[in-house]
Amino acid sequence: MSTGQVRIRLPEKIKAGDVVTVRALVTHPMEIMAFKDGKPVEKSYNFIHKVEAAYNGRKVFEATTTQAVSQNPFISFQVKVDAPGVVKILFHDTQGKIYEGQAEIKF
Amino acid sequence: MKRKLAQPDMFSNGRRRTLRILGASGLVAGALSLGLPMPAGAATGMPEPDEKIADTLKRLFGNRPLQPAGDRIKFDAPIIAENGAVVPVRVDVELPMAKDDYVSNIYIISDKNRRPLNAQFSLTPDSGKASVATNIRLASTTDVRAIAETSKGALYEVKREVKVTVGGCGG
Repeated sequence: MSTGQVRIRLPEKIKAGDVVTVRALVTHPMEIMAFKDGKPVEKSYNFIHKVEAAYNGRKVFEATTTQAVSQNPFISFQVKVDAPGVVKILFHDTQGKIYEGQAEIKF
Repeated sequence: MKRKLAQPDMFSNGRRRTLRILGASGLVAGALSLGLPMPAGAATGMPEPDEKIADTLKRLFGNRPLQPAGDRIKFDAPIIAENGAVVPVRVDVELPMAKDDYVSNIYIISDKNRRPLNAQFSLTPDSGKASVATNIRLASTTDVRAIAETSKGALYEVKREVKVTVGGCGG
């Protein structure tokens, strides 16, 4: 799996008006800066710091994540669906890259 | 150093997940935990300074009181986390998500991490239900708090101790 690959999992059967659990996972190293005696020993520093999710263009969820979220961050949240549409999720990392994933909701 | 942690495959439940994660990441987690736990930073390029839990709570909530959540929050966290690098947590808040009164934020905070805030989730009434899950890193055995904030400003807190056997370079 390469960095930035986003996977989204939805329940198999969805009815109008349901509250749907969206599970999203992005492949990302979530690098941290390691310190020894107060000095950085490993300088890579790149992790997902923001996750946004929109349903049919309307923002429904946002997460501020830190380095204390595991590698290959997994996030699960709920969204109430009244109309068929597309869930779009953006993962922002600290080097300015944005990883995008989307999944379609049909009834 | 190898940076390859096993994929915590949240999409296939069970299936020897713990074993695989432990096997592949034990080395890395062990090596990194020698250093300080890592900070939480925005896109600054450098880690933010250490923070004590009291300062974190003050920064996030000011002087607003934290009420014990009772059964308003269902907080799932392992009692013992073998691997601090991947600790699954789930927070379900049993409060209504009405247009004018809903759960606006859920915070996950680990007292003994270098930067205690693990993650903050911002919700809207469109969420339908205030329920989030993620995997967090824990540096050592610590109290983990789940705090729910409503749009009216009330704060509810649940605290749970998680024992960590292998520190997970969390921050």
